[in-house]
Amino acid sequence: MNNQPIIHIENLHKHFGPTAALNGVDLDVYPGEVVVIVGPSGSGKSTLLRCINRLEKFDAGSVVVDGIPLTTAENINAIRTEVGMVFQSFNLFPHLTALENITIAQKVVRKRSKADANETALALLAKVGIPEKSHNFPGQLSGGQQQRVAIARALAMNPKIMLFDEPTSALDPEMIQEVLDVMLQLAREGMTMVVVSHEMGFARAAADRAVLMDEGVIVEEGPPDILFNHPTHERTKSFLSKILV
Amino acid sequence: MQIQKKLEQIPGHEVASHRIDSWWWLVVGVIAIVMLLATARPDPYWRILRFVSDGLVVTISVTLVAFVLTLVAGLVAALGRLSKIGFIRWFTTIYVEIARGVPLLVQLLFWYFAFPSVIQAFGRLIQYRPLERYLANPFAMAIIGLTFCYAAYMSEVYRAGIQSIPKGQNEAARSLGMTHGQAMRHIILPQAVKVILPPVGNEFISLLKDSSLVSIVAVADMTRRGREFMAANFIPVETWIMIALIYLVMTLVSARVVAWIERKTQTEAH
Repeated sequence: MNNQPIIHIENLHKHFGPTAALNGVDLDVYPGEVVVIVGPSGSGKSTLLRCINRLEKFDAGSVVVDGIPLTTAENINAIRTEVGMVFQSFNLFPHLTALENITIAQKVVRKRSKADANETALALLAKVGIPEKSHNFPGQLSGGQQQRVAIARALAMNPKIMLFDEPTSALDPEMIQEVLDVMLQLAREGMTMVVVSHEMGFARAAADRAVLMDEGVIVEEGPPDILFNHPTHERTKSFLSKILV
Repeated sequence: MQIQKKLEQIPGHEVASHRIDSWWWLVVGVIAIVMLLATARPDPYWRILRFVSDGLVVTISVTLVAFVLTLVAGLVAALGRLSKIGFIRWFTTIYVEIARGVPLLVQLLFWYFAFPSVIQAFGRLIQYRPLERYLANPFAMAIIGLTFCYAAYMSEVYRAGIQSIPKGQNEAARSLGMTHGQAMRHIILPQAVKVILPPVGNEFISLLKDSSLVSIVAVADMTRRGREFMAANFIPVETWIMIALIYLVMTLVSARVVAWIERKTQTEAH
Protein backbone atom coordinates (compact mmCIF):
# COMPACT_ATOMS: atom_id res chain seq x y z
CA MET A 1 0.00 0.00 0.00
CA ASN A 2 1.19 3.44 -0.94
CA ASN A 3 2.33 5.71 1.86
CA GLN A 4 0.77 8.87 0.39
CA PRO A 5 -2.93 9.13 1.29
CA ILE A 6 -5.20 9.76 -1.71
CA ILE A 7 -7.75 11.41 0.57
CA HIS A 8 -6.44 13.53 3.39
CA ILE A 9 -9.00 15.06 5.73
CA GLU A 10 -7.86 17.26 8.55
CA ASN A 11 -9.81 18.76 11.41
CA LEU A 12 -13.02 19.01 9.38
CA HIS A 13 -15.88 21.07 10.82
CA LYS A 14 -19.35 21.51 9.39
CA HIS A 15 -22.44 23.12 10.91
CA PHE A 16 -26.04 23.05 9.77
CA GLY A 17 -27.34 26.11 11.55
CA PRO A 18 -26.67 25.67 15.25
CA THR A 19 -26.11 21.89 15.06
CA ALA A 20 -22.64 20.58 14.38
CA ALA A 21 -22.60 17.78 11.81
CA LEU A 22 -18.83 17.36 11.81
CA ASN A 23 -16.82 18.28 14.85
CA GLY A 24 -13.18 17.91 13.90
CA VAL A 25 -12.73 14.83 11.73
CA ASP A 26 -9.32 13.54 10.66
CA LEU A 27 -9.21 10.71 8.15
CA ASP A 28 -6.64 9.43 5.67
CA VAL A 29 -7.54 6.98 2.94
CA TYR A 30 -4.77 5.28 0.99
CA PRO A 31 -4.89 4.18 -2.64
CA GLY A 32 -6.60 0.82 -3.05
CA GLU A 33 -8.04 0.94 0.43
CA VAL A 34 -11.68 0.17 1.23
CA VAL A 35 -13.00 2.12 4.21
CA VAL A 36 -16.44 1.47 5.63
CA ILE A 37 -17.99 4.17 7.80
CA VAL A 38 -20.66 3.11 10.27
CA GLY A 39 -22.48 5.01 12.97
CA PRO A 40 -25.92 6.00 14.23
CA SER A 41 -28.12 8.21 12.07
CA GLY A 42 -27.17 11.85 12.37
CA SER A 43 -23.60 10.98 13.29
CA GLY A 44 -22.22 12.88 10.28
CA LYS A 45 -21.14 9.94 8.10
CA SER A 46 -22.98 11.10 4.97
CA THR A 47 -21.91 14.68 5.54
CA LEU A 48 -18.27 13.56 5.76
CA LEU A 49 -18.64 11.62 2.50
CA ARG A 50 -20.29 14.57 0.77
CA CYS A 51 -17.44 16.84 1.86
CA ILE A 52 -14.97 14.68 -0.05
CA ASN A 53 -16.37 15.84 -3.39
CA ARG A 54 -17.63 19.11 -1.99
CA LEU A 55 -21.34 18.44 -2.49
CA GLU A 56 -21.34 19.86 1.00
CA LYS A 57 -19.27 22.91 1.85
CA PHE A 58 -17.33 22.64 5.07
CA ASP A 59 -16.76 25.44 7.56
CA ALA A 60 -13.23 24.70 8.72
CA GLY A 61 -10.46 22.22 8.15
CA SER A 62 -9.08 20.88 4.90
CA VAL A 63 -9.76 18.14 2.39
CA VAL A 64 -7.05 17.16 -0.08
CA VAL A 65 -7.97 14.63 -2.75
CA ASP A 66 -5.31 13.16 -5.00
CA GLY A 67 -2.97 16.00 -4.02
CA ILE A 68 -5.51 18.70 -4.93
CA PRO A 69 -6.97 20.80 -2.09
CA LEU A 70 -10.72 21.47 -2.41
CA THR A 71 -10.78 25.22 -2.62
CA THR A 72 -11.70 26.91 -5.90
CA ALA A 73 -14.38 26.02 -8.41
CA GLU A 74 -11.90 24.63 -10.96
CA ASN A 75 -10.38 22.38 -8.32
CA ILE A 76 -13.77 21.07 -7.35
CA ASN A 77 -14.78 20.12 -10.89
CA ALA A 78 -11.36 18.52 -11.44
CA ILE A 79 -11.79 16.48 -8.27
CA ARG A 80 -15.35 15.51 -9.07
CA THR A 81 -14.32 13.84 -12.33
CA GLU A 82 -11.85 11.71 -10.35
CA VAL A 83 -14.28 10.86 -7.55
CA GLY A 84 -17.33 8.77 -8.40
CA MET A 85 -20.36 8.96 -6.14
CA VAL A 86 -23.21 6.53 -5.62
CA PHE A 87 -26.29 7.78 -3.78
CA GLN A 88 -28.80 6.11 -1.50
CA SER A 89 -31.67 7.09 -3.81
CA PHE A 90 -29.73 6.25 -7.04
CA ASN A 91 -30.44 9.67 -8.59
CA LEU A 92 -30.44 8.26 -12.09
CA PHE A 93 -31.55 10.71 -14.75
CA PRO A 94 -35.14 9.61 -15.45
CA HIS A 95 -35.34 11.20 -18.90
CA LEU A 96 -32.37 9.19 -20.19
CA THR A 97 -32.00 5.46 -20.87
CA ALA A 98 -29.60 3.34 -18.82
CA LEU A 99 -27.05 3.68 -21.62
CA GLU A 100 -27.49 7.46 -21.89
CA ASN A 101 -27.21 7.81 -18.12
CA ILE A 102 -23.74 6.32 -18.43
CA THR A 103 -22.69 8.19 -21.58
CA ILE A 104 -23.91 11.73 -20.84
CA ALA A 105 -21.09 12.82 -18.54
CA GLN A 106 -18.49 11.06 -20.68
CA LYS A 107 -19.63 13.14 -23.65
CA VAL A 108 -20.25 16.42 -21.81
CA VAL A 109 -17.38 16.39 -19.31
CA ARG A 110 -14.77 14.05 -20.79
CA LYS A 111 -15.59 15.12 -24.38
CA ARG A 112 -15.51 11.54 -25.59
CA SER A 113 -17.06 10.64 -28.94
CA LYS A 114 -20.48 9.01 -28.94
CA ALA A 115 -19.00 5.73 -30.17
CA ASP A 116 -16.35 5.65 -27.44
CA ALA A 117 -18.85 6.58 -24.75
CA ASN A 118 -21.29 3.89 -25.90
CA GLU A 119 -18.56 1.28 -25.95
CA THR A 120 -17.50 2.13 -22.40
CA ALA A 121 -21.11 2.17 -21.25
CA LEU A 122 -21.96 -1.21 -22.75
CA ALA A 123 -18.84 -2.76 -21.23
CA LEU A 124 -19.78 -1.35 -17.82
CA LEU A 125 -23.39 -2.53 -18.09
CA ALA A 126 -22.02 -6.01 -18.81
CA LYS A 127 -19.71 -5.68 -15.83
CA VAL A 128 -22.58 -4.83 -13.45
CA GLY A 129 -24.58 -7.69 -14.93
CA ILE A 130 -27.37 -5.98 -16.87
CA PRO A 131 -26.18 -5.64 -20.48
CA GLU A 132 -29.71 -6.30 -21.74
CA LYS A 133 -31.14 -3.21 -20.00
CA SER A 134 -29.18 -0.60 -21.95
CA HIS A 135 -32.25 0.85 -23.65
CA ASN A 136 -34.53 0.78 -20.63
CA PHE A 137 -35.38 3.94 -18.75
CA PRO A 138 -34.70 4.03 -14.98
CA GLY A 139 -38.43 3.81 -14.25
CA GLN A 140 -38.50 0.41 -15.96
CA LEU A 141 -35.70 -1.02 -13.79
CA SER A 142 -35.81 -2.54 -10.32
CA GLY A 143 -34.08 -0.72 -7.48
CA GLY A 144 -31.13 -3.07 -7.58
CA GLN A 145 -30.76 -2.62 -11.33
CA GLN A 146 -31.00 1.16 -10.97
CA GLN A 147 -28.27 1.20 -8.36
CA ARG A 148 -26.05 -0.95 -10.58
CA VAL A 149 -26.58 1.50 -13.46
CA ALA A 150 -25.67 4.30 -11.04
CA ILE A 151 -22.43 2.51 -10.17
CA ALA A 152 -21.68 2.04 -13.87
CA ARG A 153 -22.43 5.72 -14.46
CA ALA A 154 -19.84 6.72 -11.87
CA LEU A 155 -17.27 4.20 -13.13
CA ALA A 156 -17.58 5.51 -16.69
CA MET A 157 -15.59 8.58 -15.68
CA ASN A 158 -12.66 6.31 -14.70
CA PRO A 159 -12.58 7.63 -11.16
CA LYS A 160 -9.69 6.98 -8.83
CA ILE A 161 -12.00 6.93 -5.83
CA MET A 162 -15.58 5.74 -5.40
CA LEU A 163 -17.85 7.09 -2.67
CA PHE A 164 -20.94 5.11 -1.67
CA ASP A 165 -23.56 6.86 0.44
CA GLU A 166 -25.74 4.12 1.95
CA PRO A 167 -26.03 2.42 -1.45
CA THR A 168 -28.31 -0.40 -0.28
CA SER A 169 -30.49 1.41 2.27
CA ALA A 170 -33.27 2.18 -0.21
CA LEU A 171 -33.36 -1.34 -1.65
CA ASP A 172 -35.71 -4.21 -1.00
CA PRO A 173 -33.87 -6.98 0.90
CA GLU A 174 -33.71 -9.36 -2.06
CA MET A 175 -31.88 -6.77 -4.16
CA ILE A 176 -29.17 -5.82 -1.69
CA GLN A 177 -26.84 -8.67 -2.55
CA GLU A 178 -26.69 -7.93 -6.29
CA VAL A 179 -25.44 -4.43 -5.52
CA LEU A 180 -23.01 -5.61 -2.84
CA ASP A 181 -21.63 -8.17 -5.28
CA VAL A 182 -20.74 -5.41 -7.73
CA MET A 183 -19.11 -3.44 -4.92
CA LEU A 184 -17.16 -6.50 -3.76
CA GLN A 185 -15.90 -7.05 -7.27
CA LEU A 186 -14.77 -3.41 -7.42
CA ALA A 187 -12.98 -3.75 -4.10
CA ARG A 188 -11.15 -6.85 -5.33
CA GLU A 189 -10.05 -4.96 -8.42
CA GLY A 190 -8.28 -2.52 -6.15
CA MET A 191 -10.63 0.47 -6.35
CA THR A 192 -10.23 2.99 -3.55
CA MET A 193 -13.61 3.07 -1.85
CA VAL A 194 -15.23 4.96 0.99
CA VAL A 195 -18.54 3.35 1.88
CA VAL A 196 -21.18 4.55 4.32
CA SER A 197 -23.13 1.40 5.03
CA HIS A 198 -24.37 -0.86 7.77
CA GLU A 199 -23.87 -4.00 5.71
CA MET A 200 -21.63 -5.85 8.13
CA GLY A 201 -21.20 -8.77 5.73
CA PHE A 202 -19.80 -6.44 3.10
CA ALA A 203 -17.61 -4.65 5.63
CA ARG A 204 -16.10 -7.92 6.85
CA ALA A 205 -15.57 -9.26 3.34
CA ALA A 206 -14.25 -6.16 1.62
CA ALA A 207 -13.17 -3.46 4.03
CA ASP A 208 -9.58 -2.88 5.07
CA ARG A 209 -10.76 -0.56 7.76
CA ALA A 210 -14.00 0.23 9.54
CA VAL A 211 -14.62 3.62 11.07
CA LEU A 212 -17.28 4.35 13.68
CA MET A 213 -18.61 7.88 13.80
CA ASP A 214 -20.83 9.44 16.43
CA GLU A 215 -21.84 13.05 17.00
CA GLY A 216 -19.59 14.36 14.28
CA VAL A 217 -16.35 12.71 15.35
CA ILE A 218 -14.57 9.46 14.64
CA VAL A 219 -14.93 7.38 17.80
CA GLU A 220 -12.95 4.34 16.83
CA GLU A 221 -11.39 2.74 13.79
CA GLY A 222 -9.65 -0.47 12.90
CA PRO A 223 -9.90 -3.66 10.87
CA PRO A 224 -13.59 -4.60 10.64
CA ASP A 225 -13.25 -7.92 12.46
CA ILE A 226 -11.53 -6.31 15.41
CA LEU A 227 -13.83 -3.26 15.51
CA PHE A 228 -17.02 -5.33 15.26
CA ASN A 229 -15.96 -8.22 17.51
CA HIS A 230 -13.81 -6.50 20.11
CA PRO A 231 -14.84 -2.86 20.30
CA THR A 232 -13.01 -0.92 22.94
CA HIS A 233 -15.12 2.21 23.14
CA GLU A 234 -18.45 2.29 24.99
CA ARG A 235 -20.20 4.13 22.16
CA THR A 236 -19.04 1.51 19.66
CA LYS A 237 -20.36 -1.27 21.85
CA SER A 238 -23.70 0.43 22.34
CA PHE A 239 -24.06 1.10 18.61
CA LEU A 240 -23.07 -2.41 17.59
CA SER A 241 -25.45 -3.97 20.09
CA LYS A 242 -28.27 -2.11 18.38
CA ILE A 243 -27.51 -3.17 14.82
CA LEU A 244 -26.13 -6.68 15.44
CA VAL A 245 -29.25 -8.21 16.91
CA MET B 1 -47.23 2.06 -18.44
CA GLN B 2 -48.25 -1.28 -16.98
CA ILE B 3 -51.58 0.01 -15.75
CA GLN B 4 -52.30 1.62 -19.08
CA LYS B 5 -51.69 -1.65 -20.95
CA LYS B 6 -54.03 -3.44 -18.56
CA LEU B 7 -56.69 -0.76 -19.06
CA GLU B 8 -56.40 -1.11 -22.82
CA GLN B 9 -57.31 -4.78 -22.53
CA ILE B 10 -60.63 -3.97 -20.89
CA PRO B 11 -63.29 -3.96 -23.65
CA GLY B 12 -64.78 -0.58 -24.31
CA HIS B 13 -62.15 1.22 -22.30
CA GLU B 14 -60.33 3.68 -24.46
CA VAL B 15 -57.18 5.25 -23.09
CA ALA B 16 -57.42 9.03 -23.13
CA SER B 17 -54.29 9.61 -25.18
CA HIS B 18 -55.59 7.57 -28.10
CA ARG B 19 -58.95 9.31 -28.19
CA ILE B 20 -59.69 12.67 -29.71
CA ASP B 21 -60.32 15.08 -26.87
CA SER B 22 -64.10 15.38 -26.50
CA TRP B 23 -63.82 19.13 -25.93
CA TRP B 24 -62.90 19.57 -29.59
CA TRP B 25 -66.63 19.52 -30.34
CA LEU B 26 -66.84 22.91 -28.63
CA VAL B 27 -64.22 24.28 -31.04
CA VAL B 28 -66.07 22.78 -33.98
CA GLY B 29 -69.30 24.25 -32.65
CA VAL B 30 -67.96 27.79 -32.34
CA ILE B 31 -66.36 27.63 -35.80
CA ALA B 32 -69.71 26.38 -37.17
CA ILE B 33 -71.50 29.36 -35.61
CA VAL B 34 -69.01 31.78 -37.19
CA MET B 35 -69.41 30.15 -40.60
CA LEU B 36 -73.17 30.00 -40.25
CA LEU B 37 -73.36 33.69 -39.39
CA ALA B 38 -71.02 34.63 -42.25
CA THR B 39 -72.94 32.65 -44.85
CA ALA B 40 -76.51 33.13 -43.62
CA ARG B 41 -76.09 36.88 -43.06
CA PRO B 42 -73.07 38.00 -45.10
CA ASP B 43 -74.13 41.53 -44.35
CA PRO B 44 -72.89 42.46 -41.77
CA TYR B 45 -71.04 39.32 -40.55
CA TRP B 46 -69.01 38.50 -43.65
CA ARG B 47 -68.20 42.23 -43.99
CA ILE B 48 -66.98 42.34 -40.39
CA LEU B 49 -64.82 39.28 -40.95
CA ARG B 50 -63.22 40.76 -44.06
CA PHE B 51 -62.73 44.14 -42.41
CA VAL B 52 -60.93 42.77 -39.31
CA SER B 53 -58.99 40.02 -41.11
CA ASP B 54 -55.83 42.15 -41.41
CA GLY B 55 -56.19 42.92 -37.69
CA LEU B 56 -56.41 39.20 -37.03
CA VAL B 57 -53.05 38.75 -38.75
CA VAL B 58 -51.61 41.52 -36.54
CA THR B 59 -53.06 39.93 -33.39
CA ILE B 60 -51.54 36.57 -34.25
CA SER B 61 -48.17 38.10 -35.18
CA VAL B 62 -47.96 40.23 -32.04
CA THR B 63 -48.86 37.21 -29.91
CA LEU B 64 -46.41 34.83 -31.56
CA VAL B 65 -43.47 37.23 -31.61
CA ALA B 66 -44.06 38.32 -28.00
CA PHE B 67 -44.48 34.68 -26.95
CA VAL B 68 -41.18 33.54 -28.47
CA LEU B 69 -39.36 36.49 -26.87
CA THR B 70 -41.13 35.74 -23.59
CA LEU B 71 -39.90 32.15 -23.66
CA VAL B 72 -36.29 33.32 -23.99
CA ALA B 73 -36.44 36.32 -21.64
CA GLY B 74 -38.40 34.30 -19.07
CA LEU B 75 -35.69 31.64 -18.96
CA VAL B 76 -32.99 34.27 -18.52
CA ALA B 77 -34.97 35.85 -15.67
CA ALA B 78 -35.61 32.47 -14.05
CA LEU B 79 -31.91 31.56 -14.12
CA GLY B 80 -31.21 35.03 -12.73
CA ARG B 81 -33.54 34.45 -9.79
CA LEU B 82 -31.87 31.12 -9.09
CA SER B 83 -28.38 32.58 -9.49
CA LYS B 84 -25.84 32.25 -6.72
CA ILE B 85 -24.68 35.80 -7.35
CA GLY B 86 -26.60 38.07 -4.99
CA PHE B 87 -26.71 41.11 -7.25
CA ILE B 88 -28.19 39.21 -10.20
CA ARG B 89 -30.76 37.56 -7.96
CA TRP B 90 -31.69 40.90 -6.41
CA PHE B 91 -31.94 42.64 -9.78
CA THR B 92 -34.17 39.99 -11.39
CA THR B 93 -36.38 39.79 -8.30
CA ILE B 94 -36.99 43.54 -8.45
CA TYR B 95 -37.79 43.26 -12.16
CA VAL B 96 -40.26 40.41 -11.62
CA GLU B 97 -42.00 42.28 -8.81
CA ILE B 98 -42.35 45.45 -10.89
CA ALA B 99 -43.54 43.66 -14.02
CA ARG B 100 -46.11 41.67 -12.10
CA GLY B 101 -47.19 44.53 -9.87
CA VAL B 102 -48.02 47.14 -12.51
CA PRO B 103 -51.13 46.61 -14.69
CA LEU B 104 -50.26 45.48 -18.21
CA LEU B 105 -52.28 48.32 -19.74
CA VAL B 106 -50.29 50.88 -17.74
CA GLN B 107 -47.06 49.21 -18.84
CA LEU B 108 -48.11 49.33 -22.50
CA LEU B 109 -49.00 53.03 -22.15
CA PHE B 110 -45.62 53.66 -20.56
CA TRP B 111 -43.67 51.93 -23.33
CA TYR B 112 -45.58 53.70 -26.08
CA PHE B 113 -45.98 57.23 -24.66
CA ALA B 114 -43.39 57.67 -21.93
CA PHE B 115 -40.44 55.54 -22.98
CA PRO B 116 -39.75 57.47 -26.25
CA SER B 117 -39.72 60.74 -24.29
CA VAL B 118 -37.19 59.27 -21.92
CA ILE B 119 -35.03 58.20 -24.87
CA GLN B 120 -35.33 61.69 -26.44
CA ALA B 121 -34.35 63.36 -23.18
CA PHE B 122 -31.37 61.01 -22.92
CA GLY B 123 -30.45 61.89 -26.53
CA ARG B 124 -30.51 65.59 -25.70
CA LEU B 125 -28.40 64.89 -22.64
CA ILE B 126 -25.64 63.20 -24.63
CA GLN B 127 -26.39 65.39 -27.71
CA TYR B 128 -26.90 62.44 -30.00
CA ARG B 129 -29.23 63.41 -32.85
CA PRO B 130 -30.79 60.00 -33.76
CA LEU B 131 -31.86 59.52 -30.15
CA GLU B 132 -33.26 63.05 -29.90
CA ARG B 133 -35.53 62.32 -32.85
CA TYR B 134 -36.48 58.88 -31.60
CA LEU B 135 -40.09 57.99 -32.39
CA ALA B 136 -41.98 55.03 -31.05
CA ASN B 137 -42.82 52.23 -33.44
CA PRO B 138 -46.22 51.07 -32.12
CA PHE B 139 -45.69 47.45 -33.11
CA ALA B 140 -42.21 47.27 -31.54
CA MET B 141 -43.32 49.04 -28.37
CA ALA B 142 -46.34 46.74 -28.03
CA ILE B 143 -44.07 43.69 -28.37
CA ILE B 144 -41.63 45.10 -25.81
CA GLY B 145 -44.47 45.90 -23.41
CA LEU B 146 -46.05 42.44 -23.67
CA THR B 147 -42.68 40.70 -23.41
CA PHE B 148 -41.52 42.78 -20.44
CA CYS B 149 -44.64 41.86 -18.50
CA TYR B 150 -45.11 38.26 -19.59
CA ALA B 151 -41.43 37.28 -19.22
CA ALA B 152 -41.83 38.00 -15.51
CA TYR B 153 -44.78 35.62 -15.23
CA MET B 154 -42.99 33.09 -17.42
CA SER B 155 -39.87 33.25 -15.23
CA GLU B 156 -42.00 32.15 -12.28
CA VAL B 157 -43.31 29.22 -14.33
CA TYR B 158 -39.75 28.20 -15.27
CA ARG B 159 -38.53 28.67 -11.72
CA ALA B 160 -41.26 26.43 -10.33
CA GLY B 161 -40.42 23.84 -12.98
CA ILE B 162 -36.69 23.91 -12.25
CA GLN B 163 -37.27 23.75 -8.50
CA SER B 164 -39.64 20.80 -8.92
CA ILE B 165 -36.72 18.64 -10.08
CA PRO B 166 -35.31 16.75 -7.05
CA LYS B 167 -32.05 18.11 -5.64
CA GLY B 168 -30.44 14.70 -6.11
CA GLN B 169 -30.53 15.19 -9.89
CA ASN B 170 -28.29 18.22 -9.67
CA GLU B 171 -26.03 16.52 -7.13
CA ALA B 172 -25.64 13.47 -9.36
CA ALA B 173 -24.80 15.66 -12.35
CA ARG B 174 -22.35 17.78 -10.38
CA SER B 175 -20.71 14.73 -8.80
CA LEU B 176 -19.95 13.54 -12.34
CA GLY B 177 -17.99 16.73 -12.87
CA MET B 178 -20.60 18.70 -14.81
CA THR B 179 -20.57 22.46 -14.37
CA HIS B 180 -23.69 24.29 -13.19
CA GLY B 181 -24.51 25.19 -16.80
CA GLN B 182 -23.98 21.66 -18.12
CA ALA B 183 -26.17 20.20 -15.38
CA MET B 184 -28.90 22.74 -16.19
CA ARG B 185 -28.75 22.10 -19.92
CA HIS B 186 -28.45 18.32 -20.00
CA ILE B 187 -30.14 17.19 -16.80
CA ILE B 188 -32.42 19.77 -15.16
CA LEU B 189 -34.04 21.68 -18.03
CA PRO B 190 -34.96 18.61 -20.15
CA GLN B 191 -36.85 17.28 -17.14
CA ALA B 192 -38.34 20.66 -16.21
CA VAL B 193 -39.75 21.11 -19.73
CA LYS B 194 -42.30 18.36 -19.15
CA VAL B 195 -43.44 19.98 -15.93
CA ILE B 196 -43.77 23.47 -17.34
CA LEU B 197 -45.39 22.74 -20.72
CA PRO B 198 -49.00 23.00 -19.45
CA PRO B 199 -48.50 26.29 -17.54
CA VAL B 200 -46.50 27.70 -20.46
CA GLY B 201 -49.45 26.87 -22.70
CA ASN B 202 -51.75 28.71 -20.33
CA GLU B 203 -49.46 31.73 -20.43
CA PHE B 204 -49.75 31.64 -24.22
CA ILE B 205 -53.54 31.76 -24.01
CA SER B 206 -53.41 34.66 -21.55
CA LEU B 207 -50.98 36.47 -23.82
CA LEU B 208 -53.26 35.95 -26.81
CA LYS B 209 -56.16 37.53 -24.93
CA ASP B 210 -54.09 40.34 -23.43
CA SER B 211 -52.72 41.20 -26.86
CA SER B 212 -56.07 42.98 -27.39
CA LEU B 213 -54.74 45.69 -25.03
CA VAL B 214 -52.23 46.79 -27.68
CA SER B 215 -55.19 48.29 -29.58
CA ILE B 216 -54.89 51.20 -27.12
CA VAL B 217 -51.36 52.03 -28.27
CA ALA B 218 -51.93 52.47 -32.02
CA VAL B 219 -51.48 48.88 -33.11
CA ALA B 220 -54.14 47.91 -35.65
CA ASP B 221 -54.92 44.53 -34.14
CA MET B 222 -58.28 42.81 -34.39
CA THR B 223 -59.77 44.67 -31.44
CA ARG B 224 -58.76 48.04 -32.87
CA ARG B 225 -60.11 47.11 -36.29
CA GLY B 226 -63.35 46.12 -34.58
CA ARG B 227 -63.61 49.56 -33.00
CA GLU B 228 -62.96 51.17 -36.37
CA PHE B 229 -65.67 49.06 -37.99
CA MET B 230 -68.12 49.90 -35.24
CA ALA B 231 -67.38 53.61 -35.55
CA ALA B 232 -68.04 53.52 -39.28
CA ASN B 233 -71.12 51.29 -39.28
CA PHE B 234 -72.80 51.74 -35.89
CA ILE B 235 -73.59 48.06 -35.38
CA PRO B 236 -71.89 47.30 -32.05
CA VAL B 237 -73.76 44.10 -31.21
CA GLU B 238 -72.90 42.27 -34.43
CA THR B 239 -69.32 43.62 -34.44
CA TRP B 240 -68.40 42.55 -30.94
CA ILE B 241 -70.19 39.21 -31.19
CA MET B 242 -68.08 38.43 -34.26
CA ILE B 243 -64.82 39.64 -32.66
CA ALA B 244 -65.55 37.71 -29.46
CA LEU B 245 -66.26 34.54 -31.46
CA ILE B 246 -62.97 34.80 -33.35
CA TYR B 247 -61.00 35.24 -30.10
CA LEU B 248 -62.92 32.33 -28.65
CA VAL B 249 -62.01 30.07 -31.58
CA MET B 250 -58.32 30.92 -31.12
CA THR B 251 -58.26 30.42 -27.35
CA LEU B 252 -60.29 27.21 -27.50
CA VAL B 253 -58.00 25.75 -30.16
CA SER B 254 -54.96 26.77 -28.09
CA ALA B 255 -56.44 25.20 -24.97
CA ARG B 256 -57.05 21.93 -26.81
CA VAL B 257 -53.49 21.91 -28.13
CA VAL B 258 -52.16 22.54 -24.60
CA ALA B 259 -54.32 19.70 -23.25
CA TRP B 260 -53.05 17.42 -26.01
CA ILE B 261 -49.41 18.25 -25.26
CA GLU B 262 -50.08 17.75 -21.56
CA ARG B 263 -51.49 14.26 -22.13
CA LYS B 264 -48.71 13.37 -24.51
CA THR B 265 -45.96 14.32 -22.07
CA GLN B 266 -47.73 12.49 -19.26
CA THR B 267 -48.01 9.23 -21.19
CA GLU B 268 -44.40 9.56 -22.30
CA ALA B 269 -43.23 10.01 -18.72
CA HIS B 270 -41.45 6.93 -17.52
